[in-house]
Amino acid sequence: MLGIGNEKVSLCDGHGSTRRSFLQAGSAGLVGLSLPSWMSLEASGAVDQAQQKIRNCITIFLVGSPGQLDTWDMKPEAPAEIRGKFRPIDTNVSGIQICEHFPLMARMMDKVALIRSLHHKTGATHENGQRWMMTGHDFNPDSMKPYSGSVISRVFGNRGTLPASVILPYKIGNTGAGPLHGQTAAYLGSGHEPFFLGSDPARSDFKVSDLQPPAGQTEFRLNARKQLLSQIDEVQRKAETNPEVGRDTAYARAFNLLTSPEAKQAFDLTQETPKLRDRYGQNSLGQSCLMARRLIERGCRYVTINHFDTVFGISCWDMHADGGGLNNTYADYERLLCPQFDWAFTALIEDLSYRGLLNDTAVCVLSEFGRTPSLNPRGGRDHHPGVWTNFMAGANIKGGQVIGSSDKQGARPQNNPIEPPQILASIYHAMGIDLETTMMPGPGNRPIRLVEAEPIQQLFG
Amino acid sequence: MDQKFEGTPKAEIQLAGRKLTRGDVTNDWGSQLVWEVRRNGQVVAQVPARSDASYEHPDTTPGQYEVVLQMFKYDGYAKDKDGNFTQSKFVEVSNKVAYTVG
Repeated sequence: MLGIGNEKVSLCDGHGSTRRSFLQAGSAGLVGLSLPSWMSLEASGAVDQAQQKIRNCITIFLVGSPGQLDTWDMKPEAPAEIRGKFRPIDTNVSGIQICEHFPLMARMMDKVALIRSLHHKTGATHENGQRWMMTGHDFNPDSMKPYSGSVISRVFGNRGTLPASVILPYKIGNTGAGPLHGQTAAYLGSGHEPFFLGSDPARSDFKVSDLQPPAGQTEFRLNARKQLLSQIDEVQRKAETNPEVGRDTAYARAFNLLTSPEAKQAFDLTQETPKLRDRYGQNSLGQSCLMARRLIERGCRYVTINHFDTVFGISCWDMHADGGGLNNTYADYERLLCPQFDWAFTALIEDLSYRGLLNDTAVCVLSEFGRTPSLNPRGGRDHHPGVWTNFMAGANIKGGQVIGSSDKQGARPQNNPIEPPQILASIYHAMGIDLETTMMPGPGNRPIRLVEAEPIQQLFG
Repeated sequence: MDQKFEGTPKAEIQLAGRKLTRGDVTNDWGSQLVWEVRRNGQVVAQVPARSDASYEHPDTTPGQYEVVLQMFKYDGYAKDKDGNFTQSKFVEVSNKVAYTVG
């Protein structure tokens, strides 16, 4: 039991420290509890790791966003200008069809839960959708919310020397409407920033820049420098405040990565057989999925794969067919994007399953929004947050089901509308977090819930 | 960052009667993989080859048939006015096999 004001709050029995009790305690004096106090509170058992079944998560974020009608929510009975060019195929689950260009995924639909009624009500920019799906919150420039991987870092911490949260291969860059994509730790501080790989693991010149000692420096010299710096840090620490602690943490984390053999091994795909690398696909998505599995296997808890870092001038999911810098068409989907995704995603599920990791790892395929139900005059589809399909597999997620539905045109949710915070709540739940008992310090150290939504109960068996 | 494919995919295909069988593709880029079927030198079919290792072309129109595995090689996203790739194209990744329908 911990005394907060006049109220005793049980922290160790797994159900004494509910959200309500924290809020009640807040009104009795919890407001103003410092970050160090929160840390010791966590150590006292608010996040009782011994009592929880902690799982991992790999999210594949399809930057640009595939059209729901061309992928996982086809409408073969709709008029041609709505149903598009591709045909549906049966899957191994009776009654569920998906696009013909996902033939391997169709054979493992029993492992996948499709969510066909996802939507958001804010503007149709990539960045709005990214922030919703990365943080579970609407965008507020005065109160930036942390990326879900940073939340996981804050709640569970690191296992070993690898960061709790990694984003690969590249951070999201220019997607048209600003630099804020929701992939930062925000007020959680630099100690919980995700580690960005910053290099394409499919390239022969791949290297993780943060794992390369500066030219001319050996590990011995680095360790000597570390000792010296730690003495300086100790002096500094006495005089500095919380944000500086965050900086120290980030520094220590970077140093641990730089000198850790485990980290170097985790990022070394040459330790995998060529046959397995081929099975994932010798491309950025495939090798990133393989690296995600290696990272999870070695202690990372949360890995996000950005499938593309921009929407301009490259083949990606943003199918406007505008004849210029956004000229993705059905040809991109058919020749490149769908086959690469089908090959990599199914390899990841198979590989995790083979290694006994799938039950401990949620695999989530997310995107910013859907695409317009009607083809535009050039044969493309534009941004449409009115409804889209994302999906989840692994962990305690019940596969072989469809949650929610869209209307006949694939324009709006018809049944069971789902919003992005529910996806984040479901991810946290799948990872073993009880949203009623696990809080984190919000702005001003006020205890807040991880996300203001409940998990989608139908997802879980 | 645009994709850049490295190396060269390779596969072996075999023919038994009219039934085609392929081995695994090495250095697999993961892009679209098809059986390209030609009859008397003209392309008559491009059939998806990724999900199954075997295929038998159903057309029995008399003629000399030649089959090869092809994979899509992405070399940039430039397209023509109909939205088809202009720089990127299918490349052959296997040996060729031939048979005759009398």
